[in-house]
Amino acid sequence: MICLRKLAPDSAPRLSTLAFALALLALAGICRASTDWEASLDGRLVSSDANPSFMQGGLGTVRYGSDESGLQLGRARFALTQSIGEVWSAHLDASMFDDKDSSPVGLTEAYLLFRPYPRAGYRFRLKAGGFYPPISLENRASGWESPYTLSYSAIDSWLAVEVRTIGLEGTLDWLGTRSGHAFDAGVTGGVFGWNQGAGVVLANNGFSLTDRQTALFGRVGQLGDQPLGGAEPFLQFDHHQGVYGGFEVRYLDRVVLRALHYDNRATPQLDEASDQNYSQHTRFNSAGVRIEGDHGWTAIAQWLDGETTTAADDVPGGLSSWPFRAEYALLSKRIGRSTLSARYDRFVVDSIGADDYGAQSGHAWTAAYVFNADAHWRFTLEWLQVVSSSSSREEFFGGPPLLTETQLQLAVRYALGSSVY
Amino acid sequence: MRPPARARCRSAAAGAVLTLGAGLIALGGAAAAATLVINVQTPDGRALPGAIVTVRALDGAPHHAATPLHAIMDQVNRAFAPDLLVIPVGSTVEFPNSDSVSHQIYSFSPAKRFQLPLYRGKPYPPTHFDQPGVVTLGCNIHDDMLAYLVVTDAPWYGRTDSAGAWSTELPRGHYRVELWHPRLRDNETDLEREFTVGDADRADLTLRLSRPLQPAPLTDRPHSWDY
Repeated sequence: MICLRKLAPDSAPRLSTLAFALALLALAGICRASTDWEASLDGRLVSSDANPSFMQGGLGTVRYGSDESGLQLGRARFALTQSIGEVWSAHLDASMFDDKDSSPVGLTEAYLLFRPYPRAGYRFRLKAGGFYPPISLENRASGWESPYTLSYSAIDSWLAVEVRTIGLEGTLDWLGTRSGHAFDAGVTGGVFGWNQGAGVVLANNGFSLTDRQTALFGRVGQLGDQPLGGAEPFLQFDHHQGVYGGFEVRYLDRVVLRALHYDNRATPQLDEASDQNYSQHTRFNSAGVRIEGDHGWTAIAQWLDGETTTAADDVPGGLSSWPFRAEYALLSKRIGRSTLSARYDRFVVDSIGADDYGAQSGHAWTAAYVFNADAHWRFTLEWLQVVSSSSSREEFFGGPPLLTETQLQLAVRYALGSSVY
Repeated sequence: MRPPARARCRSAAAGAVLTLGAGLIALGGAAAAATLVINVQTPDGRALPGAIVTVRALDGAPHHAATPLHAIMDQVNRAFAPDLLVIPVGSTVEFPNSDSVSHQIYSFSPAKRFQLPLYRGKPYPPTHFDQPGVVTLGCNIHDDMLAYLVVTDAPWYGRTDSAGAWSTELPRGHYRVELWHPRLRDNETDLEREFTVGDADRADLTLRLSRPLQPAPLTDRPHSWDY
């Protein structure tokens, strides 16, 4: 059995995050340039019959367990975009999710962006810092939120929980729509570190549908609680940089097609220093398409297929692997200030060389109604039901592997700022 | 001869008023004028508003561009307003920013390559457009912002109205009319036509596209979403 615990959380990564953020702001402050900011507060009324989530030390597949029914803080967020000179900008996104992370406030993204002017139909972009790789097609609202549902799909929830680029990403776009054509196309490549733990939640808990975004260098699970402990996805203890590469094609402003291959190139091993964190060699392919039509219709589909491998617990030199696959389809219709959305998710995690530990399969239905009263107020009602089978439920908690969990949320969000209008 | 027709286009969002076809030029010795009415239609026969129409004389009359003008293209709610202008060669355009966020306008179109560094409000002097052609404008920060300036050296030019029509007064003679629209498909063919304005007081010309237009830009998408 593999149990991941972090007994002595290392404060160095969080200090480095803070130092990084301060450096960005200091750099921005010495330059005469403009600042855009946004702040929001998202409160929830929750009714749930689910098991505790991975953050509460359980194997629940939704954000809130039954003991968290009632009023909850969905997210408190402050974001800042500071231009630095003409073609650089700094982006900070700080959030509080009120769910016992090691720090109450964390940075979900923090990066510098270099965006020179397009030349002869081509444009280059360079990102440096901590940010999401270009995979999700539903998380398109500010703060990497989905404008369609509260809970993200299983794929994008997993990215939110434990995948982040902490490194460099370059993108070269051909701007066809700016030169008389109907298409744009681009290629992206990234080099990153500090994501050696990506896959630890997938291997131990499987997929879930949540909108909690782990802060950079943040923690998942609770110290001492099975099965996840206080694992840290954003660690680096070998010298292998992760890489990814992908492409994107767009038809006008109607269709986006994305594909990406990702490999964190981690050496499957145990972190000897912490004695608790496992290095997860995680690689996957992802693809997705988003189609927007007339009359407010939007359709999105994403697909993910990969595997995460780590050192076997009980066999010296042995490896345990968890191949995973997930897909979803979302259909949404905007009618004035209202948006109605429905999504179907399907996911599976297999277990190889770990005595079936961590095996999971399931599907989920999400239905959401979003009412944007104005630029500041947003009301969302979401119903989410996940049917899943997990081998770990019986192992850790003695319950049946198969479980249906239902979560109903009413969210009220107020946002203000220079970019909220 | 009669003075040229004046077309006025109001940018509702910005409140800016633009005089589009201010000056025509004496065509020396030309005969009495007639009214030319051009109707532009989609392949299924529907009126096409917002098409750019330019007319040039073919029978040896001196070719004069229309008088340059000063236009305003604002930025409101993360969109250019208006998002299509037609101006004579030599015109100037101001690009104020009425948004609370900064914009960074660029064009790499051969007719005019320029960029306006990050700004809000109205900090930059007008930009001069001295070459004919279509200038595609974008914002280097907000990818969903897209607009077009059609810079023309034609003496007669304008945009079709909501009924797909545009009219002007012309001396009798032989002309070529050309059509442009931001959503034309690459292989659209029926974009120009030669015609003669004869003795009648009015000449009517209907231009019908051979292929459907590309889909219109989505306008109801919240501006805070990623493009």
